[in-house]
Amino acid sequence: MFVEPVYSSLITLLIIVVACAELCDAVTVVDVYRLVQYDLGGVPLGSRLAALNHHAGSSLYLSSAGAAADLSRTVLILPVRELNLTFIRDYIGQRKPLGGLLLLLPPVFSPQHSDSGGGADQDSAKDLVKEVLIEVERLLIHANIPYPVYFGFEDEAVHAMLGDVKKNDITGQPATATTGGYKLVVAAPEPRKVASPAIINIQGWLPGLKADGDSNQLPTIAIVASYDTFGAAPALSVGSDSNGSGVVALLEIARLFSILYSNPKTRGRYNLLFVLTSGGPYNYNGTHKWLRSMDQRLRETIDYAICLNSIGSSSNELWLHVSKPPENAYIKQIFEGFSTVSEELGLKVGLKHKKINISNPRESQMLSFICLALRTGYVPICMVSWEHEQFSRLRVTAATLSELSVAPDFLESTGGLSDNRNFINEASISRSVKLVAESLARHIYGQQGKSIDIFADHSSLSINPSYIRSWLEFLSTTPRVAPFLSKNDPLIVALKKELADHTVEVNVQQELLDGMFTFYDSTSGRLHIYQVASVTFDLILLLVLASYLIVLFSFLVILTRGLDDLISLFRRPSSRKVKTA
Amino acid sequence: MTMFHFLNCAILTFGPHAVYYSATPLSIILTSFLQQIRLVCLATFLKVSESDSFDPYQVLFVQSLSGIVESFDWVRRCCGLYFALTQLTHRNISQNHKFQAVGLGWAFADSVLHRLAPLWVGARGLEFTWDFVLQGLEANANLVLCLSLAALGSLIWLRKNKPKTLIPIIYACAGIVATMPSITSYLKRGLGWHFPKVVGFELFTSLVMAFISWQLFTACQRPSN
Repeated sequence: MFVEPVYSSLITLLIIVVACAELCDAVTVVDVYRLVQYDLGGVPLGSRLAALNHHAGSSLYLSSAGAAADLSRTVLILPVRELNLTFIRDYIGQRKPLGGLLLLLPPVFSPQHSDSGGGADQDSAKDLVKEVLIEVERLLIHANIPYPVYFGFEDEAVHAMLGDVKKNDITGQPATATTGGYKLVVAAPEPRKVASPAIINIQGWLPGLKADGDSNQLPTIAIVASYDTFGAAPALSVGSDSNGSGVVALLEIARLFSILYSNPKTRGRYNLLFVLTSGGPYNYNGTHKWLRSMDQRLRETIDYAICLNSIGSSSNELWLHVSKPPENAYIKQIFEGFSTVSEELGLKVGLKHKKINISNPRESQMLSFICLALRTGYVPICMVSWEHEQFSRLRVTAATLSELSVAPDFLESTGGLSDNRNFINEASISRSVKLVAESLARHIYGQQGKSIDIFADHSSLSINPSYIRSWLEFLSTTPRVAPFLSKNDPLIVALKKELADHTVEVNVQQELLDGMFTFYDSTSGRLHIYQVASVTFDLILLLVLASYLIVLFSFLVILTRGLDDLISLFRRPSSRKVKTA
Repeated sequence: MTMFHFLNCAILTFGPHAVYYSATPLSIILTSFLQQIRLVCLATFLKVSESDSFDPYQVLFVQSLSGIVESFDWVRRCCGLYFALTQLTHRNISQNHKFQAVGLGWAFADSVLHRLAPLWVGARGLEFTWDFVLQGLEANANLVLCLSLAALGSLIWLRKNKPKTLIPIIYACAGIVATMPSITSYLKRGLGWHFPKVVGFELFTSLVMAFISWQLFTACQRPSN
C-alpha cells in the first residue's frame, strides 16, 4: 500500500531535481565569434587562444587605475561604437598582456539583422563606425595576439552587464575573485589546424553556335568572379559587396545569356565561360590554379575575360582595371563598348592601367615570402592585386570591373566585418549587370555603335531584381571563408546547381590551398556571463552564520538546562584542574 | 567561491537542526531518533505525493480538486505525527521532550528531501543568486513550525488533563500550523508573491506560532505540576 506513493514521490523528487538543474544554469548566454587564427608563411597571426575564463572589465578601469593596471586576468569589453583607436593600436602594437578581448558590434553589422533604414544621422553614424571597424579589423588581422579575441553583438543583456561593470570600474578596483563582478566563460576546445583547406572552382560552359562547315574553334569570352571571403571573424565574413555582388551579377548574366543561347536563332558566335573562383583573398589562388589546369588550346581561344569585383556600392562610378596598355587595340575596343553603354545608363566608367609587377611592392609581405621560401622552398612568383592579372600573366587579355579605384591591399576588402547586407545597394548591382551584359551582347552580336537595347526593361530579357535580391540575401547570410568550405557544403552545391541551370556543362575543380596559408578552426562559441559574488561576501556570510548558530545554541541551552549549565560548559576544564590540584 | 557558497547555505539550512540536537537533552535517544526519522520520512513522502500546485492554467474543477487534496494535507501531517508520537519504542525521555525529537526529526527529513538536492545542484554553480540563502532561512522557519506542530500534537494526544478552555485554541493553532505549507504555496503561486516576501512571512508566522504554542504548552503543564 505504501509502494505507490513512494514511487510517485520519488518521481516528483527527480523532476524537482532535474528542474532545478536546468534553472540553475539560467545565466546570460550570448553567441560570439572568434577572431581568425592563421599562419602566413609560418608566421602565427590572429588570436591564438579560444577558451576564455576571466573576469569582465571595461575601458573605464584603465582610465581610473592608470597605466599600471594589470589586465592579464581580465577580459576587456569594448563597444566598437565608443572605441578609442589609439588605445587599441597601443595595446596591440605593444603586445600588452590581456586576459581576453570582447568587441561589441552594433546590431546593424549582424548578418541576420535587416536594416529598417534610418535617417541621415543614422547613416552617418553607421559610416563612422564602419571606418573604425575597418581600421580595427586591419590591426587585428596582421597582429599576433596571444589571448582570445571575440566579436559579439550589442543587446540588452550585454548592455546591462557592461553598465554594471563600468560602475564597478569607476572606483578603480579590479574585478577579481575578492571583489565579485562578472565572469565571462567561453568553453572552447583547443583550436586545431584545418586539415586540407580546399579551393573549389565552379565553371559553367555555354557553347556558341558553330556554323556548318566551320572548322575553326569559336572564340570564348570568360566572365569570372571569386566567391569566397576573408575577414576578422570567419563566422561573420559574409562579404555582401566583396564579392557577393560579383557572384550575384555573374549568375544574373548567366541567366540572361542562357535565355539568349537556348534558341539556336539567337545563339551567338562566341562560347561563354562563367567561372566562380575561390581563393580570392589569397592572391587569387583559385584563378591561378584554374588557368594552369585549363587545356592550352581552350585557353588560347579566350578572346577576353571580364572579372567582377565589388560592384554593389551606391556610387555612380565604376573602374575598368587592365594590365595591357590602354593603347592596345583590344583594350580600346572593350573600353569603348563599356563606355557607350555606361553613358546610356548614367554610369561613369574609367580606365585604370596597372602593370603587373614581378617584384612585390609591399614590404611587409616581402619578409614573409622570404621566410616562406627559406622554410618550404616554395617561392611565390608574384603578388597580384586584381584577378585579371592572373590572366594577364598567361597572356590572356582580361580586365576587372570594380567600384574600387585603387587595388586593395593584401587581405583588405575581402568581405570583412563591415561588409554586409545593410551597406549594399541592389540597384547598383542591377545597373552593373546591365552594363556588362549589354556590352558583351553588343560585342557578340556585332551591334557596337548601334542604338539597341538588348536587355530592355519590361522585356523577356530584362534584369530580374528579385533574382538578384534573393541571391544577395542568401549570400549575405552565408559565411564563405574557403578553408572552412568543403565540396559538399550547401553553398557550393547551390552555386553548382544554379550554374547547371543556366549553362550546358558544369565542372567543379577541387584543389588544395597553397601551403603559405594555414587556418585554425573554432570560429564561434557561446559566451556565458556569470554574476559572481566575492570571497569577502562568502566570508562575511560565514561569520554571520557562525554567530547565529552560537547564539541559537546558547539560547537553547539556557532555555532547557539553565544559564548555569551554559557557563559550566566553558568552566569545565578549569574546574577539573582545581579538583586534581 | 562556489563550494564556499554551497557550504554556507548548507550550514544555514542544516546547522540549526544540529545545534538543536546538541543543545537539548536528546542525545541519549539516537536509535529511537533514527526510528523517528523513518516514520517521519514515510509521512513526508505522503505529503510530497500530493499535488501542491495552485497552477493558474488548470481548469477550475481541477483547482477545486487540488483544494480538496490540500485540505487533506494537514490530515496527513497530523496522522504522521500521531504515529510518530505514539509508536515510540524507547521511553527513556519524558513526554515533554519526545515532541522535540519528533519535530526535529520531521524538520530535518523535510529539509534533506526538499532542499538538499537543489542546494547541491545549484549552489555549486558559478552564478550567484540569493535563492539558496532564502531557502536556508525557509528551512529555519520550517524547523520552528515543525517543533510547534509537534508540541501542539503532543498536547492533543499525549496530555490527558488539559484545561477545557484551551482545547479549541490548541486545535485551531494546530490546524493553522499544519496547513502552513498550503498557505505559503498559495501565496507563491496564487497571489504571486516574490520569494523574499514569502520567506519573511514564513519566519514571522513561525515565530508567532512558536510563541503561542510555547504559551499553550506551559499553560497545560501548570496543572500537572
